[in-house]
Amino acid sequence: MDRRSLARFRRNRGAVAGAGIVLGLVLFAIIAPMASTHDPLASDFAHGISPSMGPVGPSLERLFGDDRIYRDVFARVAYGARISLFIGSAATAIATLIGAAVGIIAGYFGGAVDAVLMRLVDVGMAFPFLLLVMAIGASLDRTTATTILITLGLTGWLGTARIVRAKTLQLKRLDFVVAARALGAKWPAILLRHVLPNVAGQLVVVASLSVAQMILAESVLGYLGAGIAPPMPTWGRMLYEAQGYIDIAPWMLIAPGAAIVLAAVGFNLVGEGVRDALDPKDA
Amino acid sequence: MRSIRRTRDAAVSAALVAIATWCIASGVACVEPLAAPLVNAHPDDPTPRRGGTLHVAGQGEPRGFDPAAAADQVSLPLVALLFDGLVDYDGRGHLVGVLAERWEVADAGATYRFFLRPSIQFQDGDELTADDVRRSIERALHPDTPDPFASTFSGIVGYDDFSSGKAPHLAGVRVEGRYVVSIALTAPDAAFLASLTLPSLRPVCKSAGERYSAAWLPCGAGPFRLPEGAWQHGISVTVVRNEHYFRAGRPYLDAIVWDVGMPVLTQRFKFLAGEIDYFRDISSIDVSRFAADSRWKPLGDAEPDVEVTGEAMNTRMAPFDNVEIRRAVASAIDREHYRLLSPATLNRANQPIPPAIPGFLADFAGQTYDYAAALEHMRRAGYPYDPETGVGGYPKTVRYTAYEPGLAYYTAQVLQQELAKIGIRLEIRLLGIATWQALTHKSGRAEMTIGSWAQDYPDPSDFFEPNFAGFSIHEDDSNNVAFYDNPRLDALLKRARLEADDARRANMYAEATRIVCDDAPWAFVFYSHRYSVHQQYLRGYVPRPAEIEYMGDVWLDRPGSAADARGASALGSVFGRLAARLP
Repeated sequence: MDRRSLARFRRNRGAVAGAGIVLGLVLFAIIAPMASTHDPLASDFAHGISPSMGPVGPSLERLFGDDRIYRDVFARVAYGARISLFIGSAATAIATLIGAAVGIIAGYFGGAVDAVLMRLVDVGMAFPFLLLVMAIGASLDRTTATTILITLGLTGWLGTARIVRAKTLQLKRLDFVVAARALGAKWPAILLRHVLPNVAGQLVVVASLSVAQMILAESVLGYLGAGIAPPMPTWGRMLYEAQGYIDIAPWMLIAPGAAIVLAAVGFNLVGEGVRDALDPKDA
Repeated sequence: MRSIRRTRDAAVSAALVAIATWCIASGVACVEPLAAPLVNAHPDDPTPRRGGTLHVAGQGEPRGFDPAAAADQVSLPLVALLFDGLVDYDGRGHLVGVLAERWEVADAGATYRFFLRPSIQFQDGDELTADDVRRSIERALHPDTPDPFASTFSGIVGYDDFSSGKAPHLAGVRVEGRYVVSIALTAPDAAFLASLTLPSLRPVCKSAGERYSAAWLPCGAGPFRLPEGAWQHGISVTVVRNEHYFRAGRPYLDAIVWDVGMPVLTQRFKFLAGEIDYFRDISSIDVSRFAADSRWKPLGDAEPDVEVTGEAMNTRMAPFDNVEIRRAVASAIDREHYRLLSPATLNRANQPIPPAIPGFLADFAGQTYDYAAALEHMRRAGYPYDPETGVGGYPKTVRYTAYEPGLAYYTAQVLQQELAKIGIRLEIRLLGIATWQALTHKSGRAEMTIGSWAQDYPDPSDFFEPNFAGFSIHEDDSNNVAFYDNPRLDALLKRARLEADDARRANMYAEATRIVCDDAPWAFVFYSHRYSVHQQYLRGYVPRPAEIEYMGDVWLDRPGSAADARGASALGSVFGRLAARLP
């Protein structure tokens, strides 16, 4: 991002707020689990039941209250932040890598290569994303953070590929690419040194929007019972566990729910901010 | 352009603040006490009133109402309304005649002779005679009928020939008069009358014919009948009063509407709003709340403890082929931790027979939590574990197969914590209920899983034989999920089945209890009972031991409208209003 784009980004209050939220979440994910005095996986059976016969509610000692089996919700949200952010960013990295490679290759070579790759993308896009992810998730014998992020990464690159291909089609006709080719540069060099840097802006935008999507997708999987196996705390799992208790123990729902909303809003604002900042029309 | 974006950002911030405020406010506001029960229209008049429609709801969808094929928990309560049997349990747990006026036992317990009440009519108006009883039994036990309980009746003379298709009739069932039918057994069976309370052999109308057909419209001699088209799949089942019912003046209700596929939360709010009269799929935390509320407590109906749950260990698979490991697990679990998951419905377990079933040994220690003993068993198994350093224990991760949704989702996570303390590290695999059931019933597929057994009838044989007998092992569909095969236990169980002397029989089952507790194919963790709540205006309700939802004798004393009875706050909270609108 050049200096003028950065200035545009900083003038955009939504984008700055989004960056603040994302930074806050990252700090929370790093610091909170260390600061928390409670184990997110251990039940404290001695903590008992509240007068309204549900889990014990928030207190100074336990900021977000207890969950269904007497575990500390704060500790679980904090560890969940690590998992969610890790899955969101790692899955996005995989998806961006594959999407960029497929998009650049399809766009640059065109013809049969383009046709085959793009029909593949069309077929992939014809599947409802969540259904596809759930089917893959269900076919795995064990679901860990790694398998979930690989599943999300391997299914989430389709949109990226299309965007990158469109940009590449545009770039390859420009003079500097034609010149490089005329000077005898090999195609890997052209793609890496001339095309890729020029689609990087788009990639950053798509990636930051994708992080929010990946976090949401992981939450949905967890909520539907197809995510990471318990007792590992993830925000989606926590929502799933809370749904039966919304009128008795709303803190079980509010804490992970608010975390998901914040993460989605934060990454989306950043993504939109980057897009607007890079858009020369708005200069 | 810029000013538009600024406005939009401001709107986004305002919306976020509003959402946050709403979350916190509603979070505080919606933890409120339960609404009061609706008052009765005629609280001082004990005379039952005829008429009215009872509303019940359930989470699941029934599979069908043919008594010869029904086995799921959703269908069975409706089958009980549509079909009466020869005998049944009354509200106090005693066996009484229903369609049979009386019965006599001959041949030292090997022949049962039933005398039917004369002039009983089926729902279609036909008279019920001994021929119908015989036809219904043969129809249920015919090899083409998918009767899940058929093997329970394998003791009837001629069962093997009939069920293999060699004989056209079941030799042991004989019509001895227009209203007299006798059933001969190959050997005395102390549990035979109890097994007759199962739905399987209940008499069915002549329209059912001689053979099972899935297309048959259920018709029997119960207090309610199922009209054509009254089962709207995915929506509701409506049963209406049987005008031909043999008990004069019964049932009091005109109809029962049973909504199906309704989420628990929706049921709850509809119940509090008076739109459902009987709340059966109640969550465990709600049980605690209703049971703790002095206004609702008298309206709660707790079954006695008739269900046992244990952690079943597959005795054919490592590490549970080692009896010391199984004993370590049985000693390592603090049952109190399980009980705390649902204090209102669970009690700590120490043996296979629940307290409300004959055969429970009140003075027997059984399996108990003893951490030191658990570590000692681990040492004897060859996997010593040092709790100080966390070193040792079983070296591999052990897979634990559970299902969701349900309490098993939480018990699995409690068990994981309990066993980690003796060096057994579990990895939880969660499956849907149907997949879980199919998989755990196959040999060599699940090392450890949760096992539960609720009584079909109150007799110890109903607990031991399906779960722990070697003869219940089938490679592809085994009720014995621990695949526990002990010839000594099998011989004991077979002898106990034939024993007519109550004291000697009790001794045999006590010995069986000791064997199973010591060999630990299951670590017994809790006994449970169902809990349901009914409206105050649902009167005359007596829960039965085996069928808590039996609605044959109830009557409605409903107030004019829900709003009249309680004032404005019919629905408790924002969530309540939302949830009541869920499909």
